[in-house]
Amino acid sequence: MKNQLLWIALFTVGVAFLFGSFAICAAQTTQPADSVDQSTQEMLKELQAVPQTRSAESPSLSSAPSAPDALSSQRPAIDWQHLIFRDFPLMLITGAAVGVAGALLGLFVLLRREALVALAIPQVVAIGAAIGMRLGWENEVPPALGVALIALVYFALAKRSNTGNWIVPSFYVAGLCLSFLIVASRGGEDVEKLQRLFMGIDVAIAPQTAAIAVPVLLVVGLICALLWRRWLLLAQAPAAAELAGLRPTRWDALFLLLLTIVILLGTNALGVVMVLAMLFLPAATILPWTRRLPAAMLGGVILSLIFLAVGFYLSNTMNWPLSQSIGGAGCGALAISQVCAQFKGE
Amino acid sequence: MGDKLIEVKDAVFGYGGRPVVQVEHLELFRGQCLGIFGPNGSGKTTLVRGITGLLSPMAGQVSHETVASSGDMRIGYLPQHRNLELHWPMTALDAASLAISARRIFGWIGSRSKDVLAMMDRLQISQFANRPFAALSGGQQQRVLLSGALAGDPTVLVLDEPTEGLDVRSTQELLDLLRQFIAEGLATMIISHEADDLVQVSREIAWLHPASDVGHASRVEIVTPQTLGEAILSAARRAV
Repeated sequence: MKNQLLWIALFTVGVAFLFGSFAICAAQTTQPADSVDQSTQEMLKELQAVPQTRSAESPSLSSAPSAPDALSSQRPAIDWQHLIFRDFPLMLITGAAVGVAGALLGLFVLLRREALVALAIPQVVAIGAAIGMRLGWENEVPPALGVALIALVYFALAKRSNTGNWIVPSFYVAGLCLSFLIVASRGGEDVEKLQRLFMGIDVAIAPQTAAIAVPVLLVVGLICALLWRRWLLLAQAPAAAELAGLRPTRWDALFLLLLTIVILLGTNALGVVMVLAMLFLPAATILPWTRRLPAAMLGGVILSLIFLAVGFYLSNTMNWPLSQSIGGAGCGALAISQVCAQFKGE
Repeated sequence: MGDKLIEVKDAVFGYGGRPVVQVEHLELFRGQCLGIFGPNGSGKTTLVRGITGLLSPMAGQVSHETVASSGDMRIGYLPQHRNLELHWPMTALDAASLAISARRIFGWIGSRSKDVLAMMDRLQISQFANRPFAALSGGQQQRVLLSGALAGDPTVLVLDEPTEGLDVRSTQELLDLLRQFIAEGLATMIISHEADDLVQVSREIAWLHPASDVGHASRVEIVTPQTLGEAILSAARRAV
């Protein structure tokens, strides 16, 4: 017990050191940029001269820092209260919901060794979204949901026939290629929209999107958490489950459905990168440090919220894209967790 | 001999129209241990799935008697400890609670964890309850799983290769425990390819003879522990 506490303390110090380093970097970036060479400064001036269409399209993002701002010598202090409560409340609430649901589902995705499915579903969702764009629909969620459900049924059948190992990666590649091919002939706007879906740089969220996504994500996360003993049973003793009258294939299908809902809503709201970061990184970071699933679930949720907060801070102070900042914070914590876990022992 | 719980008559079990095992007649009584013995691929698991009702017979019939005390027959299952996925974070108590959680809505066990702890106490493993399951030895893991299966108060307990991977001492301890519960009236089916273990606890052994031709079903012969050795020898002589 004493030994374990020591290693948890070391892990915590490591995470604090990582985030401290980020904060120092961020503080340095806001200093006058004397070290930037002449040619770079000229290039930045040219960039600054380009009209900022993004802020015009998305008023809620008007105070989000743009790339040239980061290196300007007289940067105003960030008004965090304004950012959190006026500019980005919807994004933060939706991000937190994606974090909670993603951390809970992601824990079981990793334990059930279904990470490949989780990687493939967003690509499949993108095919549906591309079909919606091609058909000129304003809302791409219905076609994305339709394609995702078809893929889900196919995944379940492939798993049953033990062909999932080579079918699922093919879906991943197919999604990457087909989604762009479907919209390629319609010109740059749709391709750009699809790229934003993948990269998740655009974090402007419509109120109606958040109003649907947040409660559904939280309910899905809660359902997944409440069924933790069921997932444990199905992984450890499927025969015992069958003898008790349960149908393991139906429960597997339910899990995939919950996962698809989280990925679909999360991707639609915040992009693929954010969803995948929340699915994998909190769970992978916490797993070496817990003995029981409830503790792992709680730890994962807390970590996901910390990653969101740190990512938001980094994004605004260092002018980094938000999803990637969250992913970067998660990757750093994961690296420390894994290194410490190597020395932990039992 | 106790109440008859299961009877199988002229049954054939298989998958997708392909017969795997055929049984002329087989019965399981309360307080009886039926050994399921045969080489790999002979259809032991298929036979057990058929006997327990998980697999409908292609021909013949399988009847489960109504249990007078509770009305339904609870079939417990002891998985092989080596087949468990030890990368899942779980304590010994979590692992032991698997069997009970299978019969509860959403898997919530609530106050039934006391029953699991009581059974762990009886099997003298309650001190491991909060230890990580993966950190236990093979013998301890198997006892933990057995305590969970027994805590579910099964009418029939199916044990899948229970002594696989255990050392001699752990094997003997496990078989001694099983003998106690069988003597108290528990009906058990033990799948094993270790004839020595089955001889120690079984009253009858269903010996599966693999079919010589592809596409034919394995045949089940019921032997006693006393005649199993002689039957194996004579089968070996015939094969030579």
